Amino acid sequence: MTDLTQTARRSEVQPPQGRLAGQTFARLLQGGLIIVILYFALYALYFYQQPRALSAGSIAALMNNTVPLALAAAGQTFVIISRGFDLSVAGVISVCNVVMAVYPLDGPGGAVMSILMCVAIGGSVGAVNGFLVAYLRLQSIAATLATMIICQGVALVILNAPGGRVADWLSYELTDRLFKTIPISGLFVLAVVLAWLYLRRTSFGISLYAIGADEHAASLSGINVRKVRFFTFVSAGVLYGLAGFMLSAQTATGNPTSGTPLLLLSFAAVALGGTSLSGGKGSLFASVMGAATLMLLQKVLFSSGVSSFYTGVFQGCVLIIAVVFSGLIEKLGERAAKL
Amino acid sequence: MLKHRLKLAASAMVIAAAAFGATAPAHAQSEDGKYKIYLSLSYSGNAWQSEAANIVKALAATAPYKDSVELIEVISGTDPQAQISAYESMIEDGADGIVSFPISSSALNRTIRRGCDEGVLFFMYDATVTESCAYNVSYLSSGFGENSAQALVNELGGKGKIFLSRGVPGNSVDQRHTDGAMHIFNQYPGIEVVAEYYSYWDDRTTQQETAKALAAHPDVDGIWAQAGEYGAIQALMDAGDRLVPMTGENSAGFRLALADPAMQEKGLRGVSAGSPPAQSGYAFKLMMEILTGKRELEPMNIEYPLPWVPAADVKVCEGDSYENGCNVFPKDRVPSSFVSEVLNPELLPEVNVESALNGTPVEGATIQPLPEDVPEAANLPGINCDDCEAPATLYELTKVEATVQP
Amino acid sequence: MSNETATLSQTGDTRKAARIKRETVSTVAIAIICVVLLYLSRFISPALGSWSQVETVLILGSFLVVVAFGQGLVILTGGLDLSIPALITLGGVLSTTAVGAGNPDAWFLLPAALLACGFVGFLSAVGVVWLRVPPFIMTMAMSIIVASAALGITKGTPRGYAPDAAVALMKSHILGLPSPIVFVIGFVFLGWLLQERSPLGRYLYAIGTNAEASRIAGVPVTAMQIFPYVISAMCAGFAGFMLVGYSSGATLRMGDDYLLPSIAAVVIGGSSILGGQGSFLGTVGGAFLLTILGTIISAIGLEFGLRTIIEGTIILIALLLLREELFNRIRSIRRKA
Repeated sequence: MTDLTQTARRSEVQPPQGRLAGQTFARLLQGGLIIVILYFALYALYFYQQPRALSAGSIAALMNNTVPLALAAAGQTFVIISRGFDLSVAGVISVCNVVMAVYPLDGPGGAVMSILMCVAIGGSVGAVNGFLVAYLRLQSIAATLATMIICQGVALVILNAPGGRVADWLSYELTDRLFKTIPISGLFVLAVVLAWLYLRRTSFGISLYAIGADEHAASLSGINVRKVRFFTFVSAGVLYGLAGFMLSAQTATGNPTSGTPLLLLSFAAVALGGTSLSGGKGSLFASVMGAATLMLLQKVLFSSGVSSFYTGVFQGCVLIIAVVFSGLIEKLGERAAKL
Repeated sequence: MLKHRLKLAASAMVIAAAAFGATAPAHAQSEDGKYKIYLSLSYSGNAWQSEAANIVKALAATAPYKDSVELIEVISGTDPQAQISAYESMIEDGADGIVSFPISSSALNRTIRRGCDEGVLFFMYDATVTESCAYNVSYLSSGFGENSAQALVNELGGKGKIFLSRGVPGNSVDQRHTDGAMHIFNQYPGIEVVAEYYSYWDDRTTQQETAKALAAHPDVDGIWAQAGEYGAIQALMDAGDRLVPMTGENSAGFRLALADPAMQEKGLRGVSAGSPPAQSGYAFKLMMEILTGKRELEPMNIEYPLPWVPAADVKVCEGDSYENGCNVFPKDRVPSSFVSEVLNPELLPEVNVESALNGTPVEGATIQPLPEDVPEAANLPGINCDDCEAPATLYELTKVEATVQP
Repeated sequence: MSNETATLSQTGDTRKAARIKRETVSTVAIAIICVVLLYLSRFISPALGSWSQVETVLILGSFLVVVAFGQGLVILTGGLDLSIPALITLGGVLSTTAVGAGNPDAWFLLPAALLACGFVGFLSAVGVVWLRVPPFIMTMAMSIIVASAALGITKGTPRGYAPDAAVALMKSHILGLPSPIVFVIGFVFLGWLLQERSPLGRYLYAIGTNAEASRIAGVPVTAMQIFPYVISAMCAGFAGFMLVGYSSGATLRMGDDYLLPSIAAVVIGGSSILGGQGSFLGTVGGAFLLTILGTIISAIGLEFGLRTIIEGTIILIALLLLREELFNRIRSIRRKA
């Protein structure tokens, strides 16, 4: 029983009574307050350099660019909270992308079918990962490396060179704006974030944090660790499928290696969102904001005219500074919570 | 909580707008009436890419463009999304023209379309896009694959075991070259492709992959290679003192080896052809002629001629440029990975080897007009056009004739 | 019960005994898989399975062995090093840039390159140990920074030539054997001594298992956390030097192919990604397993996509064969006997 309370405290799902202000502050931090502030600070800078940055068109274009990475990072967050790594993200996105380019289904009905197809692909790969990791006890990084390689092979078999065309309806409607203002792609991310806010309060969500914080304690307290771990990978896979779907809508074409660039970026987004990669902590919303910040950073660096050879130096430094900074603030928050 | 966050977001936005809205600088307009030209690379870090970029930089720094052009280089990486984002930023920034090596033939289309609608000129070099409002300047339609394959078949007398050292998996340029080559190889039952591997257009990868293939097939008779060919020579040298006929692209190492009697004695024969970095310079000059009103040209696919240098034609240069028919620089002048087809005495007389290496203009040079005639490229569905048909003459040999019959 | 907690809850002595046994079994199993694969490859191409293939594997695998050693040490302490590709490039670029056609025998290039790489590794360690940045993110950021700096400094094209020492290391023969093979045997022996038979190595295992407990036990934890990053960076730099000798020149993407394989070799070799478990000989086996697989895959006459699928499947099968529980079962059978 002591174990369970300890687990619960570490994952911050059952705050002890009292010290409400400090608690709220700490939870806000966990929920990604820092990254939100960083994002808007960067946006202000971007707007300062490029006044067109706040036009509806620019915002929508930026959003469309962000969404695939945001969804991939959202999936990655699940696995990382459970104390794992998932490399299959690159493979799943590539497979979904080529499937959508080789078998385009037009119209709203086709879009629904496509989305189901992508979710099914992602879910099945996730189930394989989950089975390998949860039941056969392979290390997540090794098992998902193998599934990633296999998926990349499958993508190349389906389409051996970039080409094909994603259904027009899909690629136009999903990158458009609702009432000329709200980017439709953003609504997908919003839906995922809302689903997450609900999910994290369910027993699955609580168990997810618990097994990430201390698997042994979690299993002693009656959590079915295998089952939770299995569904963690399935959920992650489903989100990668969605990411592949949105990426296809954006690029409107198939590319058998389209997922590869998102592999390391998805980890960077999660870390930027303040989720420690050692499990038991983190927030999907913060990862989404982390992804948004990474994409925004490209824009800011572009408009500030940094010599293109050296943009990497800035990106790397911003990454380190952001993580150090959010770590510091979090420490302060924890201290406040204890007072 | 979400509501709280949204409120926070909204207030941050308002503060930002209030603080900076009034003082935002007019960054978007080209200063001093200069043409604002973006050079958009997908990646850098190999000789080919940096030479192509250097040529454009050198041209933009040559009179009269050095006073009328503001050239901004952007490297966005191998991720199509990053290049989409970069194009968007360039359009927003009020670019007059974008000279670019596109990472994808179709993923950038929508953004390009948007740029065209705002009056931006798009010139793609080497790699192409299928969006019809962009100009493609490329050698891709000039038949590298089939011509080099036929040259190899001729050298081998129509039979033998060969390796295919390809480019990047899932890349349309690689696919086009390989399709052309296989069209020839398939006609010869005596030709057996015993290994086919991806070398990522890189010397070192080619060397390692060729070494692996040699472990399984030490008795190979010939190698058909895309860029990275010098690595294949090194792998052969590592495995034993035996070279074989091979075709490859334009690295200085390969050309010098072709002309080296010691290498020829070991069995090296072949032809150097393939992708010329000079395309970027041609694209830039053409774009500037249109922008400055010297030329009228609707968006089209423009063919850059296929470089073709058989072993017998290799001639080492003594000076800084290709004069008197020389076509490769000596070993102490350039690294072995240097891509020789970066200069073109006819189309780019303004630049020399230093321009290719450092992006510096030649002192006293001025921009010379391009030849009146702009050769049109054949349709390559999915590569430089959509919903189009390839001509019947696709895969027709242009540089070499079959000297052996199947 | 998970493997990690199982290890944690055991007492020191039995843990040590179990570790040695488990890792010996795992290393032997990898060696067997390698030999079987080499033998089976005869059926794909008659020239395979010969000494010349073994030679190719040993030479091509030597780069991976060197970087995987560093990666293994970092993983042993519970970290991860993603800066390997950039540091390979840095090592390669630094050991060529100063070599014009004039001074190919500049002896100071290698130590200078290694020092520079070691310093980058030290910076990563500072971020991880003192600034508490997750290793994954710290080394990834360093990788981006170093790669971009290398791009900027070389302006996209590394110049220069391979130094004589690098060429001699990779291209000569010693006692009839290609020199890289002799080198890799020596390297593996030294690495094994350091990781498995020195107090330093024991400290690293202790930290990886439980940093707090080892601090109490008097292990210089901070120094031991910094050490692997520096070694890993220097190993990567040295691999860059080797690659320069092998292919007589540096390119800016020469390290890109070694990131995932370096992690895969360590993990396939039986190390836990969470730290505290693993052996260098297992990692060496993992590195050669991946290289053998590469030579075989390239000889299969199928389209690339199918070959990739086969490659992934074989890796998966190897992982399943090398599974922890299998060893536990073998051990328990032996105990009963």
